[in-house]
Amino acid sequence: MGSDFSQPQRQSIVGIWVMFFYTLQQYGRALWPIILIWAFKFDEINKVYLVVGMLLLFASIGVVSYLKYLNFTFLLDSENQEFVITEGVFNKTKTAIQLHKIQQVNINQSFIQKLIGVYELDVDTAGTNKKEGIIKAISHQLALDLKSRLLENEGQKSISKNEAISLEETEQKLFEVAHPFIKISFLSLLKVGITSNYQKTIALLIIFFSTIYENFQNFGDENTIYKEKLGTFIDQNLVSQTILLGVIVLFIAVLILNVMRTVFKYYDYNIARQKGSLLLSFGLLNTKSTIIKPEKVQITTVTRNYFQKKMGILELKIKQATSGENEERKSAIEIPGCSESERDAVLKLLFHKIPEKGLILKPNFRKLIFSVFLTIGLPLFVFMIIGYCFVPSVFEYSYLVPIAILSIGLIQYFKFINNRLFINENFIIKQSGAWDVSDAIIEPSKIQAITTSQLFWHKRLNIGSITLHTAGGTIAFQLGNYSIIKQQVNRWLYEIETSDSNWM
Amino acid sequence: MENFTNDTIDTSHLPKFEEVTFTNLHPKYFKVVLINLLIVISILILLPSLVFILKPELFPGRIWMILGVLLPIISSLIIVFSIIGFKKKGFAFRNHDVLFRHGIIATNTIVIPYNRVQHVALHEGLVSRYFGLAKIEIFTAGGSSSDIEIPGIEKEQAENIKQLLMGKIKKQL
Repeated sequence: MGSDFSQPQRQSIVGIWVMFFYTLQQYGRALWPIILIWAFKFDEINKVYLVVGMLLLFASIGVVSYLKYLNFTFLLDSENQEFVITEGVFNKTKTAIQLHKIQQVNINQSFIQKLIGVYELDVDTAGTNKKEGIIKAISHQLALDLKSRLLENEGQKSISKNEAISLEETEQKLFEVAHPFIKISFLSLLKVGITSNYQKTIALLIIFFSTIYENFQNFGDENTIYKEKLGTFIDQNLVSQTILLGVIVLFIAVLILNVMRTVFKYYDYNIARQKGSLLLSFGLLNTKSTIIKPEKVQITTVTRNYFQKKMGILELKIKQATSGENEERKSAIEIPGCSESERDAVLKLLFHKIPEKGLILKPNFRKLIFSVFLTIGLPLFVFMIIGYCFVPSVFEYSYLVPIAILSIGLIQYFKFINNRLFINENFIIKQSGAWDVSDAIIEPSKIQAITTSQLFWHKRLNIGSITLHTAGGTIAFQLGNYSIIKQQVNRWLYEIETSDSNWM
Repeated sequence: MENFTNDTIDTSHLPKFEEVTFTNLHPKYFKVVLINLLIVISILILLPSLVFILKPELFPGRIWMILGVLLPIISSLIIVFSIIGFKKKGFAFRNHDVLFRHGIIATNTIVIPYNRVQHVALHEGLVSRYFGLAKIEIFTAGGSSSDIEIPGIEKEQAENIKQLLMGKIKKQL
């Protein structure tokens, strides 16, 4: 303690070296092709120029890093309760972070920083991936002081929170039944395995088989005589039979792979309830466990396709706002193979009630036209251009065109039919998907920002788009009735602004 | 609890975000846009011209012709779009949220309630600084797509706005 942060402070003076090496690294990364060329032409280059050039380069980097050092200051404004970082030589940026928004302060040391004997201090607030404030060179003592000062409020808060938790915990221990309230059976996993992730597995298999096929062809090229002999043996009938067989084998392989993957990943899936949170554990070889805290949940997605509907299963995906653990940020937590009652139980725990669909918003038919244009029109155009101008041989594959148009057209049509936005007093549900139909559920209080967008020729038609940004991703709906959208936006804004509801 | 009421909201009487009058960017910022345009376009035109004068054999004549036609078209498009883009940009600070409007073909309006603002930054570009202008960057937890950047605000006003925002954030605690 005792360090004074209320005045703008520079980094450690040795920090210039850190800046120097980082800038050098940056230049190196940007200019490595040129450096490589120089290295190869080393003998041809005038050595004097090279040395002078190098010296100039190092000198300029040195000057730049010195200026960077001079212009980088940080201070802790105790009056306004904010942490301010000023940086930039020509382009200046002043970042101000409210102390109570700070979630984490990390002190790190990279290799270069270790050599020089300084530390890096990162300030992180909730939500986004990136660090909001980074001090690249600071002595260890100062870093620790600053960290404790930055987290002063946090400390008080977390102590009281800890107390509350420990109280709750003792209370909870009495009720500690911890027996799972949902257990996903092996049978459900089998069902999930045979009804989901077709595209992913088919793509994998196609890559696999095409490489094999290519290898076969290479092999064939070397033995043209062999190939010719073989050619006479293969008659039309056999070819169609092999194709049919191949498709069946592919299909079965997809199913088996899917089932195996699902079982390996989700074997013995248990969901237990604890203090209002959900404890999940699953996995065959290594058991994973995660906690879902209802207040941190941002987007909940319920997905099912036609087969799954018939079998009475569905998949839940839950996205939480996390700060800290990097790897967990992007990925959603999946609960495969729930029954409808289990879904309701989970949703009730998360939202305290079961989300209902309310007012329906449908997209305008122009959305279908546009997506057909994008996915069929444009590729067809490119195909034609390639065929007529560059490689006429692609027309040998023309018979594939109608199949592609039909299948893509169908997918787009179903996507359009299923695309809906349901707005209810407490929930916003976006339905989407062609085969796997999913409902993304958010609560209006989780909204961070709202973007509305309208093309100028859509003004008269009164259609427009909306994007809802949350800390767990965005929900977007295009070409709906714009007056309704605007009205709902006003309502959501009103709700967010009149309550200090916690979004995490 | 006794004072707690939960009346139905009459959505038609809520303040309408679409009827807010937006403040346009500072006229000086137009000069900044023009200078930036000048830099971009001079690089876009000068660089190929230099290569053409010094080393015309680098590309065959056809490609030079295509470049000669395309570059002016692209440049004039960039000019037109930046000018329209400048005119379309506008911002508004309401009591409880900040609005930013932008977009050339589509008109986008982004609204951030003050109680969702995570932190605020003030950015001064080299050219902007010369004209005494600054850019306010407002960050939320929703990732880069939900951040607002309002350029072309006078330095002093920007400082004030930043203070205002910080005050608003604090009040929400």
